[in-house]
Amino acid sequence: MKTTMKRMTTTVLALGMMSGSLGAAELRFTIWTGNEAHLKMLNGFAESFKAKHPDVTVKYETIPPGDYTQKLTFQLAGGNAPDAGWLMEDAAPTFAAAGVLDNLAPALNKAQGYDFADFSKPALGLWTAGDKVYGVPFSTSPFVIFYNKDLFDKAGLEDPNALAAKGQWNMAKFQEVSKKLKDATGKWGFEFKDGQGYDTRIMHALMPPIRAAGGDVWANKQCGFDKPEAVAAVKQLHDMVFKDKSIVPPGEQGDYFSGGSAMTINQISRASLMPKAGFKWGIAPLPTGAGGESPVIGQAGIVVFSAGKQKELAAEFVAHMTTKDNVAAAAQFFPPARKSVLDSDAFTKSNNLIPPEQMKVVADAISKGKVLPAHEKSPQILAAMKPRVDALWRANADVEASLKAVCTAIQPLL
Amino acid sequence: MTASLTRRRIRIINQICWTLALCIVAIPFVFPFLWMVSSGFKSAAEIFGSPSLVPREWQWQNFIDVFKHQPFARQYLNSLYIAVTVTALTLLVSSLAGYALARMRFAGAALVALFLVSALMVPEEVTIIPNFFMMRWAGLVDTHWPLILLPTFGPQGIMATFLMRQYFLALPKELEDAGKMDGLSRLGVWWSIALPMSRPALAAVAIITFLNSWNLFLEPLIFVSSLDKFTLPLALSNFTDPYGMPLWHLQLAATSLAVIPILVVYIIAQRQIIESFALSGVKG
Amino acid sequence: MAGALPIRDTARREDAPWLTLKMREAMEAWLFISPTLAGFLIFFVGPLIAVVWYSLTEWNLLTQQATFVGLDNYSDALFRNPDFWHVIRNSVIFAIGLVPLNMALALSLALALSGRFAGVVIFRTVFFAPVVTSAVAWAIVWKFLLQGEAGFINQMLASIGIDGPNWLREPNWAMAAVIVTRVIKMVGLNMILYIAALQAIPRDYAAAARLEGASGWQIFRWIIWPLLGPTTLVIMVITTIGSFKVFDHIYQMTGGGPENGTLVLAFYIYQQGFQFFDVGYASALAMIMFVVVMMLTIFQLVLRRRDT
Repeated sequence: MKTTMKRMTTTVLALGMMSGSLGAAELRFTIWTGNEAHLKMLNGFAESFKAKHPDVTVKYETIPPGDYTQKLTFQLAGGNAPDAGWLMEDAAPTFAAAGVLDNLAPALNKAQGYDFADFSKPALGLWTAGDKVYGVPFSTSPFVIFYNKDLFDKAGLEDPNALAAKGQWNMAKFQEVSKKLKDATGKWGFEFKDGQGYDTRIMHALMPPIRAAGGDVWANKQCGFDKPEAVAAVKQLHDMVFKDKSIVPPGEQGDYFSGGSAMTINQISRASLMPKAGFKWGIAPLPTGAGGESPVIGQAGIVVFSAGKQKELAAEFVAHMTTKDNVAAAAQFFPPARKSVLDSDAFTKSNNLIPPEQMKVVADAISKGKVLPAHEKSPQILAAMKPRVDALWRANADVEASLKAVCTAIQPLL
Repeated sequence: MTASLTRRRIRIINQICWTLALCIVAIPFVFPFLWMVSSGFKSAAEIFGSPSLVPREWQWQNFIDVFKHQPFARQYLNSLYIAVTVTALTLLVSSLAGYALARMRFAGAALVALFLVSALMVPEEVTIIPNFFMMRWAGLVDTHWPLILLPTFGPQGIMATFLMRQYFLALPKELEDAGKMDGLSRLGVWWSIALPMSRPALAAVAIITFLNSWNLFLEPLIFVSSLDKFTLPLALSNFTDPYGMPLWHLQLAATSLAVIPILVVYIIAQRQIIESFALSGVKG
Repeated sequence: MAGALPIRDTARREDAPWLTLKMREAMEAWLFISPTLAGFLIFFVGPLIAVVWYSLTEWNLLTQQATFVGLDNYSDALFRNPDFWHVIRNSVIFAIGLVPLNMALALSLALALSGRFAGVVIFRTVFFAPVVTSAVAWAIVWKFLLQGEAGFINQMLASIGIDGPNWLREPNWAMAAVIVTRVIKMVGLNMILYIAALQAIPRDYAAAARLEGASGWQIFRWIIWPLLGPTTLVIMVITTIGSFKVFDHIYQMTGGGPENGTLVLAFYIYQQGFQFFDVGYASALAMIMFVVVMMLTIFQLVLRRRDT
């Protein structure tokens, strides 16, 4: 009698424990998009996840992009951590170093048919440290040159794609073409990314030319701004802004998307703005330089927070979101980091705004490109850089001295 | 006769000049409001295009888009109910404390007053970090509790206490003494005699506290991270596109919506409002 | 009711003979004051002590790791970090620019509007309107108006042939812009205080002086100004302390830039603590701010003592 009772109690207890783990759960996932189409797709992932975990609902929380990292930090520091979420590339090293991101390697390796090796190695650079995987990049978006074909035609110039096909699309040509465009059409030749090259997108403005010239903003804890290649590259930009007057200067408006500039540098997600723009357009690779081709990619990844209460479940969901099929589905909005998807026909045809040949530019850049440099102290570095970079964007600035000042300011932080 | 006529003319010319001068000085005070409203009706492209006050096409759509971009109505309501709550709480707490400091004798009254005064001089930035951790420990981050508690008990609340104290001190004691003789408890005297007599001060405290809470920025910035819990000042700076660039036409339309009701109330009640501020300053 | 006082103090209730009326009154008083006092202790005194403690540590907001470092944060700020003195300089410039401008404008407006004439109420309303507006809204609109070439101000200037600078992108102009726009926003408050004070001055004084042939200026200098002394002092203290607290205005208009030209102490604390996660250093800065504000207040109060 006693043993039966004992057995019954253990069974009941065991059932109780199991049902506890099968109980209804809600995962909180932070994102920075409020776009309907994006949300529809994300909710689709949540629905398909229910197939394996019927009691789990995923709640997406939108935090505006401007303060995203900041507000996320407040949530983490305030004891209100989400389970998982998107993370911007410039925050990834800081967060990983601070230990607030969970190691996803076990969950990813456990997932059936996941094939982690499918992810392109350079694309994982920011998100892995040794064996540990701190995030999975969901958007690996190269920077490309958007150009206004109508303005090029008006100036009687060959468009950048044609030039690139002939191997002539380099920084010198870029400067020449910009000036000709300005003189012929009266519109600016080139606008920095989102018109923010002097404010919030300093890195996106300076880095591509510096890399094309063969330098980098920093490498191996050494500041690269005062090296000759970088100085030459920035001097060229400076001339374009103040001598040629072909780049939109600080304080001026020259929005590419409303026809104010002939070219701009941006990520392909902006292609969605083009139909409204009303002119013929295309995308081209970044101009090459002394250092050869140097595609630049911007990224965003999905992470799981160590302070969250449902880490395993969250990690499973992340694995689910980034399977081959789901990455292919997301490719229409977010360029994938998976080689299999990049190489597929489906990808080159996935974007109905960009013709397949130009999508090849994108695919090329993703597999060869280098991500933006990141550092665990990037907020401080950017803050230290900004005043010195501000000083350099004046008509009579001594470019070399300003860059030296930048290095003096950031070297201690590197 | 001619002498006084000329003097009158001089006075009239004088007045016109003064009025004109004042009008000119008033331009930067008024113009931003006009510009804000007019830009709210312009399309994004036109805002930078033409410097005219009158929009080429009246984009009523902007005002609808404002509500679609984020839960603006909710955020508006947040600001509203928080301000009302803070005002009610502050009125209660400060009138109680002010009355005690004014009318009751107890050991340590002077010391307490001195300590409270010291709090008036400390900026919020000084204590916000520990307050953040305290709220975290209490699980109150990303709720509205910090936005209600901190203003009520912080420097603004203490200022309110002293305002009430000043006013109570100036009230004639006879009515209160009569009440006490009639058997009213202290609380009763406070509630049925002192409070009704101090309406001007209560109005002053209410108006100042409401405005303060309505315009609070640092605390919501630090404590609130979910969109639907935002207050208006936070919401206003969030009219950005998915890439973080400001959508000026929406931002200015929303700003108009935030500012105009206050302005309307202010214009209607401007006499009382201005008197409240005067009362608080002159006595304090 | 002579003799009432002693009886009140020692009278006792039958049910609680050990409780004098005086003690009862004291208890009631404490009860009345308890919410305020509790709030004061919890939200002010506690945090103040905590800030002192935090300032002695190196504490990362993100990792929550804290190590005791003694006075390192202070020596960092005062001796090693060049940014700190730059921030102090900015804060001082901001205060020096704002306070006199604000008070002078407030007094002038008050003198003009303290009398009675047609439209005085309208003018008072107009000048006070920005005070009740949200600082964020005000800053957003001005930031927009002060844009480079496409901004309204510069377009107006261009139409009369002046090439306006890029207001918010040149450090000195940005500081000027931030000061002036803040003054416009807040001057109404001080104007009202001055009006109230002016209206409290008996009209006979000025009338008598005028009969004796005194000019407007003399009346002001020798009668009105001295009588405004206490008000002027209060306004000066409040405005100065206020100028150190300004955060939302600068956050919205310039974010501390350009070239850190408008990085003032309040913003610096926020930046260090909440953008760079260095809570220890930010707390040390907060303590320094506290001391500075205290000293300024005491200094101004001492000035008053010496005057009276």
